[in-house]
Amino acid sequence: MDENRFDDVLQDLPRSFNAPPEPPLDEMWTVIEDAHFNAPVPISATRGMTSPAPWLAAAAALIIGIGVGRYLPRGGNLPGNAASPTAIATNPASATSDTSAVADAYRDQTTRYLGQAAALLVSLPAKDANGRTDAAFASKATDLLVTTRLLIDSPAAVQDPKLHSLLEDLELVLVQIARLRSERNRGDLDLIHQAVEQGDVLSRLNSAVATNQSSD
Amino acid sequence: MPFPVSNLTENGGDRDQRQIYDRVNETQLIARVIAGDRLAGRTLYDTHAPRVYSLAYRLSGDAEKAREFTQDTFIRAFSRLSQFRGDAAFSTWLHRIVVTVVSNARRSELRMAREVLLDEAHSIEFSAPEAEPDLKECIARAVDNLSDAYRMTLIMHDIEGYTHAEIAGILGVPEGTCKSRLSAARAQLREKLAAFRE
Repeated sequence: MDENRFDDVLQDLPRSFNAPPEPPLDEMWTVIEDAHFNAPVPISATRGMTSPAPWLAAAAALIIGIGVGRYLPRGGNLPGNAASPTAIATNPASATSDTSAVADAYRDQTTRYLGQAAALLVSLPAKDANGRTDAAFASKATDLLVTTRLLIDSPAAVQDPKLHSLLEDLELVLVQIARLRSERNRGDLDLIHQAVEQGDVLSRLNSAVATNQSSD
Repeated sequence: MPFPVSNLTENGGDRDQRQIYDRVNETQLIARVIAGDRLAGRTLYDTHAPRVYSLAYRLSGDAEKAREFTQDTFIRAFSRLSQFRGDAAFSTWLHRIVVTVVSNARRSELRMAREVLLDEAHSIEFSAPEAEPDLKECIARAVDNLSDAYRMTLIMHDIEGYTHAEIAGILGVPEGTCKSRLSAARAQLREKLAAFRE
C-alpha cells in the first residue's frame, strides 16, 4: 500500500472502522434512572451529610479520630495546630515530626480499614447465598461505606492518588453490597463480583495493605 | 439558589420542564441532578450520551458492550457528581470515566482471552488456512493490535475528531505526548497495512 492510499485509508476510518449505530438513548436511560434515582441507598451526592445512618457517620468519625489520637506522640499538637504557621515558625522540627505522626496515624487507621474491606470482599457469598447472609454483608458494607467516605477526604488519601482511586472504587462496590438489603437487588451479587474483578479491587487492596505495613 | 425550584415544578408536564432545562447552564443542571432531579439528569444525559456512546462503540466495536459502558459511565458519573469541582469541563470529566470503564473491561477481556488461548494451546489442531482478509478487516485488526494508549489516541483523534487538547485532558497526559502517540500509532498502522495488496 503506497503513501497516498494510506492517507485515503486514514480519511475513511470514521466510516470504515466500527461505525456506531444510532444510540439506544431511551433504553439506556431507563437503566441509569433506575440505578441512580430509584436506588434505596443514596450515593456520593450525600456523602458525609445524610449517609445511611447519620449517627454512624459520627461514630465512624469519632473512632477514626480516637484512633489517630492514640498514635499521636504524647504532648503532640493536634492536626490543625501541627500545620499552623505559628507552630512551624516557633519550632519547625516539632511541626514536621507532628505532621508525620498524623500521617502515620492516618496510615495505620487506613491499613486497618483496608484489611476489613478485603475480608468483606473475600468472604462475599456467591449469588445463591440466602437473604440473611446478604443482610449481614449489607450491614457490614454500610459501616465500611461511612468510613470509606471519611477516608476519601482524609490526608492519607489526598496525598496518595492510588489510594484515593482505590477508595473510590471500593465506595462503588460497597454501595452495591449495601443495597443487597433490598429484596429486588439480591440478583446483583454477580455484578458485584464482576465489579470487584474488573477493577482489580482485591489485589489492589492487598497490595495497599502490604505497602502500608512494609512502611511501618 | 441560582435557579428557583418553584419555577420548575409549577410548569406543567415533563416536556415544559425539559424545554426550560435546555436553557439552563450546565453548572445549574449539575446542581439539580445532585439534588435528585431526574429531569435535569435526563437533560444532562441527552447532551452527552450520544458522544459517550459513540466513543464506547468505536473502542469496543460491539453495540451491547457500548450500551453497557455508556450506562456504567453515567451511573458512575451521577454517583460522583458531588465530587465534580469544575476544574475541567464536565464533558472532559465524563469522558475520563468512559475511557476508564472501557479500559478496565478491555484489560479483563484480554486477560480472559489469554487464559483461553493457553487452554486451547494444549489441544491445537491443524485447520484449513483462513481466506485472505479484505482491507476493512485488515484495518480493524491493525487498529486493535495497537497498544491501548496508541489505539485510544488514534480512535479519538482520527476517527471521533477530538482535538489534542481534549484528548490530553481526558487521558491526563500533556498535549505533546498525545501528538507523539498519534504519530507513532499512524506509523505502526502504516507498517501493518504496508503488506496489504488490493
